[in-house]
Amino acid sequence: METNNHSIETENLNLWYGDFQALIDVSVNIPAGKITSLIGPSGCGKTTLLRCFNRVNERYGNVTTKGEIKILGKNIYDPDVSLLELRKTVGMVFQRPNPLPISVYDNILFGLRIHSPFGSLTRAKSDEIVEEALTSVFLWDDLKDKLKTRATSLQLEQQQKLCIARLLPLKPQIILMDEPCSALDAKGTLAVEELMSVLSGTYTFLIVTHNMAQARRVSTECIYMFLGELIEHRETQALFETPEHPKTADYVQMRYG
Amino acid sequence: MKRSKLIFQSIALITLAVAFILFWNFSKGIPSVENGFASDEVTTDSYSDLHESLYRMLPVLVGSILFSVAIAFYLEEWIAETSWKYQIIAQQIAILSGIPSLIYGLLGIYFFVFKTEKGAVFTHAITFVLLVVPITVQSTQKAIRDVDIFVREAAFALGAKRWRVVVDHVLPDAFPAIVAGICTAISRALAIAALIIVVYIWRIHTPQSGEAFNIPGSVIVLLSSALLSSILSSLLEKKTNLY
Repeated sequence: METNNHSIETENLNLWYGDFQALIDVSVNIPAGKITSLIGPSGCGKTTLLRCFNRVNERYGNVTTKGEIKILGKNIYDPDVSLLELRKTVGMVFQRPNPLPISVYDNILFGLRIHSPFGSLTRAKSDEIVEEALTSVFLWDDLKDKLKTRATSLQLEQQQKLCIARLLPLKPQIILMDEPCSALDAKGTLAVEELMSVLSGTYTFLIVTHNMAQARRVSTECIYMFLGELIEHRETQALFETPEHPKTADYVQMRYG
Repeated sequence: MKRSKLIFQSIALITLAVAFILFWNFSKGIPSVENGFASDEVTTDSYSDLHESLYRMLPVLVGSILFSVAIAFYLEEWIAETSWKYQIIAQQIAILSGIPSLIYGLLGIYFFVFKTEKGAVFTHAITFVLLVVPITVQSTQKAIRDVDIFVREAAFALGAKRWRVVVDHVLPDAFPAIVAGICTAISRALAIAALIIVVYIWRIHTPQSGEAFNIPGSVIVLLSSALLSSILSSLLEKKTNLY
């Protein structure tokens, strides 16, 4: 396998919350520039695996991780890895839209302000960046007159798009999404899915979803997990139509889950 | 129906009682406020000394509030709940805040009223700190915990450092609740100050009865029983957490 085509590689990844083992020997390669979906019943470790990739898991204390995670060929547990840089490269979108309780404009610049030296962002440059980010998530026309409104007062769909938009100025390589559409209605879901397919190619997407129809619609590859183990990882169509593992078959054909 | 009637009755009763107290206080109190508290009997030097030493406590009060807010942020944002440091500090604060403010009042009376020599400022300060710090720490902790985890996660996932998340998001979000907690602590301190002033005036009026009852003794008894009960309650809490 060519390494350079994979954005994320894990090797025998094990993770414990205290005594409870949430991930068991997970080895997976996520292709670059494509959308990969993670499916499986609740509590199977999908979100845990996703959260390993930008090390947000560590915030919860009593988490033990063993094994290797390489992002763009670099082990993220190496001592010389900067968490700031890692989180710049690997953006994350959460289940519930979580714009920061500040204006739309400041939300988009928040990440960039953290990562640039003080005073290096001019007003003109900031305006340009905000317009660019909002345009790429199709929000510019709706929000160009509302840049100073509090982001938490937007519609949920707009909030979630804004959460994607605020990652873009940091030029991430990978975007992790944890059930990004579960708080949205059908129209919002469609809009976010459309956005993902437009942006894939430029970014690698890894999406956790409970909605199998969504996994089928948006992803190129699909991973099925069960009780902390990776059961099957294949192209989405193949996984759904001709599952190799009986557990996968049970799940995708709705006999289980 | 019966319940709402009951609620209505109790509200009416409380309103009446409060109205009575306010009326009584205002009718008696306004003349002395107008005179600038200058009633002929209590304008002694030592009375202004007392006021002075209460004012001297103001920086101590401000300092201890800032200190408590800092402790609360340290506990909630910087160290894990399972670490020994958290356990020790939280235990101490729980014990201190379990002590009824009456005890502090008695301590205050003892130090402010009966031991008013110059060196006593330090002990006054300690009384105030002990009174204000635990309750402010606890209310601030609660305010910090109430800040939505999603806000924190969003900022962390964008690569923000801890202090940045705290200063930009947690502090502004928790600010109203923190201030509310501080107000509670201040009112507690004020109530005690009021008690001290009352006892002080009473002592000036009847100086011979100053040491009539043994304040240090009762402080020790009350303090140790409060300590015992808060230790007991923390033990019980541990027990019930086991299942």
